[in-house]
Amino acid sequence: MFFRMIRGTFARQWKKMLMIALTVALGASIATAMLNVMLDVGDKINEELKTYGSNITVIPQSEAVMNKLYDVENDEIKAEYIQEEKLGELMTIFWANNITDFAPLTDTTVTLNGSDVRLIGSWFDHHLEFVKKGTTYQRDTGIINLRSWWDITDGKWMDEQKLDGDKYAMIGAELAKEKNLSAGNKITVNGEKGAEELTIVGVYESGDDEDQCIYTTLPVVQRLTDSSGLFKKAEVSAITSPDDELAVKAAKNPSLLSGDEYDLWYCTAYVSSICFQIQEAIPEASAAAVRQIADSEGKILEKTELLMSLITLMSLIGATLGISNLVTSGVMERSAELALLKAVGAANSQIPRLVLTEIMITSVIGAAAGYFIGYAFAQIIGHTVFSSSIEMSGIVALIVAVLIIAVTLVGCIPAIRMLLRLRPSEVLHGAH
Amino acid sequence: MNKKQRMFIRMVVASLIRRRSRMIVALLAIVVGATILSGLGMIYYDVPRQMSAQFRSYGANIIFTPSGDGYVSEEDLDQGVSIFKKEELEGFTPYRYENSNIHNLPVTLAGTDFDSVMKTSPYWHISGRLPMGDGETLVGAKAAEKLGLDIGDSVSAQNSFMITEDTDLTKIPDYEIYTDPETGEKYCDHLLEMQVTGILETGGPEEEYIYTTFHDISSLTLSERGYDIVEVSVAAMQDRLKDYIKTINSNVSGISSKLVKRVTASESTVLTKLESLVFIVTLVVLALTMICVATTMTAVIAERRREIGLRKALGALNSSIIAEFMSEGLLLGGVGGIIGAVLGYFFADVVSMNVFSSSITFRPLLIPITIAASVLVTGLACLIPIRSAVDVDPALVLKGE
Amino acid sequence: MSLLELKDVSKVYGELHALDKANLTVEKGEWIAIMGPSGSGKSTMMNIIGCMDRPTSGQVIFDGRDISKESRKKLTEFHRDKIGLVFQQFHLINYLNAVENVMVAQYYHSMPDEKEALEALERVGLKDRARHLPSQLSGGEQQRVCIARALINSPQLILADEPTGNLDEANENIVLDIFKQLHKEGTSLVVVTHDPEVGEVAQRIVRLEHGKIVSDKKNENFTE
Repeated sequence: MFFRMIRGTFARQWKKMLMIALTVALGASIATAMLNVMLDVGDKINEELKTYGSNITVIPQSEAVMNKLYDVENDEIKAEYIQEEKLGELMTIFWANNITDFAPLTDTTVTLNGSDVRLIGSWFDHHLEFVKKGTTYQRDTGIINLRSWWDITDGKWMDEQKLDGDKYAMIGAELAKEKNLSAGNKITVNGEKGAEELTIVGVYESGDDEDQCIYTTLPVVQRLTDSSGLFKKAEVSAITSPDDELAVKAAKNPSLLSGDEYDLWYCTAYVSSICFQIQEAIPEASAAAVRQIADSEGKILEKTELLMSLITLMSLIGATLGISNLVTSGVMERSAELALLKAVGAANSQIPRLVLTEIMITSVIGAAAGYFIGYAFAQIIGHTVFSSSIEMSGIVALIVAVLIIAVTLVGCIPAIRMLLRLRPSEVLHGAH
Repeated sequence: MNKKQRMFIRMVVASLIRRRSRMIVALLAIVVGATILSGLGMIYYDVPRQMSAQFRSYGANIIFTPSGDGYVSEEDLDQGVSIFKKEELEGFTPYRYENSNIHNLPVTLAGTDFDSVMKTSPYWHISGRLPMGDGETLVGAKAAEKLGLDIGDSVSAQNSFMITEDTDLTKIPDYEIYTDPETGEKYCDHLLEMQVTGILETGGPEEEYIYTTFHDISSLTLSERGYDIVEVSVAAMQDRLKDYIKTINSNVSGISSKLVKRVTASESTVLTKLESLVFIVTLVVLALTMICVATTMTAVIAERRREIGLRKALGALNSSIIAEFMSEGLLLGGVGGIIGAVLGYFFADVVSMNVFSSSITFRPLLIPITIAASVLVTGLACLIPIRSAVDVDPALVLKGE
Repeated sequence: MSLLELKDVSKVYGELHALDKANLTVEKGEWIAIMGPSGSGKSTMMNIIGCMDRPTSGQVIFDGRDISKESRKKLTEFHRDKIGLVFQQFHLINYLNAVENVMVAQYYHSMPDEKEALEALERVGLKDRARHLPSQLSGGEQQRVCIARALINSPQLILADEPTGNLDEANENIVLDIFKQLHKEGTSLVVVTHDPEVGEVAQRIVRLEHGKIVSDKKNENFTE
């Protein structure tokens, strides 16, 4: 009989039930969309913040340490350099997937038309392959993404993989103006170990002292400085988690952490743990956070996440109020019908059970539909703002489910209390 | 006011007051919608300003360099800085670089103003503390490593120069004179003793420098001169900064100002994304909330179908029923809009205080917009069900059940 | 001239002939009971008499005017001016008190006047309950408010649809006494009912079956 009554309600009251389901679906879709966006916004903004360039620099260990590590007599390794081939190790560390770009840099002073100029050799869009323990790692990386703020005022970015040979250069805007150079010109630079003739492929404006520099391919500088296969410094751009207490503690000295803390720290993408892992992978190098970038990133991420979570909270409050509101009025509307049940002798406990079961069925259907609508909204947001999908988190489904059930129950309370107080005669005699 | 209008008001008021629980349900829905509209609206408009201030943690976004071969003078700096709006100027720090020797190793000394340096370089990590006056120094981490310095150590910077007839040795507090045996020229080895109060870690080139006060650097070099570079941090977007730069470059002859592109270009990229994120989130939440308001209003009207039928049976014209129900709805929309607009402001302020620790800018325009929007949405949400309800045959409604 | 005349009035819903060529005349001041089992066409006839519906075919002449072809709007106006309705379910507006419910009818008709409305309530013996909301009134009291509302605009015809259907015997008698009083004062009354006790007090009884008038005769037991 219980189920027949419920079936009856859905058959007769389907419009009202549909309305409740619709509201629940709307609320659930807000919750789903907002929670997913909130949980993913950190990663998304973090990726955007990569436009500020590298947040980690890798340099050789100081000579003092080098002397301890290696026999000084081993003349092969120059203390101020790191071996280029070791850079592939960056693709093998625990947080390798968080490293978005990296590039080696070596600079030297050369003369160009009689004046001293800083010449920097690097990778532009270098194709890197690295084999370790039988696994081949590969990726394209270079300074194209590490200098995203550059304006190319003439010519274009150097396309390392397409150009023939390595005798090419990009020149800073101020220097180009001074020397009256433009894309297509050939320049001759004189270094300690000879001269190189380079073709200018582009002129860049960087807004800092690099406007006075020339960028060229790494091999050119290696030849000019007699440092084949070596580089002086590497810039690494990594997606990191904002520093917290643990990160600060670890930054002082990781060996002071307890075992659990150490594991947590090591497996969290703190800038300090990524630096630590880089040093593990390349022992002769020292990796340090670029504070200007890493700190600001942390701050902005923290603010954005907090902002989004408060907006989410607001939307959730709105959604829950909306749902409980409609559930309350939906149940109240049926007071006459329910009073009749009471009049024909339904026990006080039976009516709430009936109402709850009906509303719950409606809510669950609504919430399921809402979850998928919310999924669509989250993706719309992801694609419009960040041009990438929002990752859906399983926990959101759980939160939304719990939330909807709780809200529906809460929404029923005033209505049920009213129903229990109701005297059947009043309702049946009163106007409907 | 005639009796008819009075009766009209009496009915509307009675409906609002005596159907309290239903009206509260409807009002609550409208208030929630209006709160979200006004709250998110204010947050949306304030995000660029508030986030822009956060982005200042990247440090200076404009630098002044001397326009010619000279230095940036104090007067030029004052004139240049006065061009910025006071509330946008976060801070500015001048620098003067000199080469010197410590322990016979070449180092770069940087004179600066320690009171403002953290405003333009908030990312500096200092172990120990900033120097508080003359005779104290902040040493970059790499320089400290190279020189074997630690907090609390004393260090002597050394500056040698040739003594000429113009040299006034009385100005120099501490020096040694020696004569070049070959040329017979007299040299003065001037020492400046300072105490290391802090070690600076930035991960950047600053770690190579040794920072002192301007006074110390002047007394070491025995020369007063202007600045090599001035870092300026301005809380404004790229376009505005470009305007400032134009103004400064054309009005202040001694200064060549430049954008720090790495900071400004990236900031505008990220801020634009953030802004559009908040915008679209606001839009989605608003759309869904408005639908929520509409369904609630529809439900509230739908349950009064029989009353509409009765009024028709009593001879009411469709137009007068619509007028009565709509004025009820619009009144609710207006009241809900006002409450929501105010609540939204407080909500936005709470968010702003929590996230940015500064209060939200009150946007007076959002109040009428919120009220208008909630009246409009409520009106539309009422109009549709009312229109379909008045078309119903009163005989059928009154007969039913 | 008769107050109301139905000439060969039919109402067809698809296949169903709810009313089939009915002829009925109501004189001024007459008290008629329309009786029949459910589904006999009582409601359809009542809607047509009450100007709330138009017949499929035939003529409805009210006060000398053929209203069967009038527009809905005209029909509404006509019905508002000439007819007072009494419902089985009273249909009071639950957020308005008794006197306000009466005034609503004045409001749509002409001009609300609280004094007149209170007088109307006095006529049905509810003067002291004028400020009560419907939920605070008993069923009988609600029906009396409904009657007061039907009377307020001095209609030419009171049309009552099962006026005692929701009332106990005591209240039924109160309502019928009011009808008697109205009849004495010269008001025309059409009462649709399936309750013989209610039909028995009318001046004339019309019986409907399957949409047809099967009998139409004077009530011999009628007492003034």
